[in-house]
Amino acid sequence: MAEDVSNTEDMISPIVTAYPREKRYILAMMQDVQKKYNYLPKEALKMIAKHAEVPFSQTYSMATFYKAFSLIPKGRYNIRVCDGTACHIKGSAVLIDQIYNNLGIKPGETTEDKVFSLETVNCLGACAIAPVVMVNDTVHAKVTSSGILKIIEKYRGDAGDEDV
Amino acid sequence: MKIIIDGRDVDVEYGETLLTAAKRAGIKIPTLCHNEAFEGQGRCRLCMVEVERGSMKNTVASCTYPITGEIKVSTSTPLIEKMRKNIVMLLYKQAPGSQLIQDMYKEYGCVDNSLEENNADERCILCNLCVLACREMGSSAISLIMRGTDKQVATPYNEAAEVCLGCGACAEICPTNAIKVIEKDGQRIIWNKVFNLVNCQRCGKPFATREQLGYIAAPGKDISTQSLCESCRRKSAAEKIQGFM
Ligand code: SF4
Ligand code: FES
Repeated sequence: MAEDVSNTEDMISPIVTAYPREKRYILAMMQDVQKKYNYLPKEALKMIAKHAEVPFSQTYSMATFYKAFSLIPKGRYNIRVCDGTACHIKGSAVLIDQIYNNLGIKPGETTEDKVFSLETVNCLGACAIAPVVMVNDTVHAKVTSSGILKIIEKYRGDAGDEDV
Repeated sequence: MKIIIDGRDVDVEYGETLLTAAKRAGIKIPTLCHNEAFEGQGRCRLCMVEVERGSMKNTVASCTYPITGEIKVSTSTPLIEKMRKNIVMLLYKQAPGSQLIQDMYKEYGCVDNSLEENNADERCILCNLCVLACREMGSSAISLIMRGTDKQVATPYNEAAEVCLGCGACAEICPTNAIKVIEKDGQRIIWNKVFNLVNCQRCGKPFATREQLGYIAAPGKDISTQSLCESCRRKSAAEKIQGFM
């Protein structure tokens, strides 16, 4: 879930400065920031660059290299559709299409209301229950094209409840 | 120390790269990601050659291979030529818009037999030379971003980089002319940043960005003293020398 990042600098600074000013800690800093914000804010990449004494272009290069990092804020519910071989054969592409038709987001994108984001992963390691979809930490097994819509509805409902 | 390249004895220094030694001996090895200003990168693999050391035979990238013993090198065997042809074919897929790569494609007798791509204008072969040039200038405004088929050269977030001086060293070194520089109305646009150009005090032609001159000059120094373009600077230096004679 994306936190308020209005005073990002103050919040990120302790995460970054917890590490020595050395290049080899850059990835660790990024992982910590990502853990906290679910993505890497631009400010964070600038601060890490400054702290580790490397150019901003280098932290940006590293952040875009690794799939584990996201440069855009994630929604409250991060939908991860497995697109490994087994899930692909079992129709994961249909699920991705369904999500697009329903939420209007493609892999790597987040809905405007910041409730959902979508990403594909190469294998969740649970091929026996393909196709697999994870929403945050919850695993949904053998998801059908109508099942995915129910899952979305459920979380949309949860999001609505929390807002009240 | 001596090694044999293409049947010729060549004098070499221990530890220097095969490419450097071959070049000095006048033996041509094709390269794309190499520039004398920098160490070999081993990116494009076009400089592959065959190296025999005792009974071992290897193919190596000559721009990164340090000479450490007696070797026999062949720069153009059927295997090497085939590898180069494959590389050129792949480079063409990556950067079909580059004239240089198009020419090489013909030169190596490549034939296209694969799917249409929609990158007809792409010229960048991802050799990384522009990134090195920018670092050498002390700016490091650009870097290689993303990976795999999405890999490209860019400034962070594709935004105008604070550290970019608009010097154009990247465009200058690019082997495929891939970096867009627009110059008009006294302005230079590069990497999404707009620079005002300074006119040469002698011939009046716009020639450098303010940021560039400010960077070259010591802090606080008046930049107008170096506001001569390269050819006028040369002329003015020549006149000074003549004045002494
Ligand atoms: S823009 Fe030119 S110099 Fe830079 S990586 Fe691409 S081909 Fe090489
Ligand atoms: S010149 Fe050696 S790999 Fe490119």
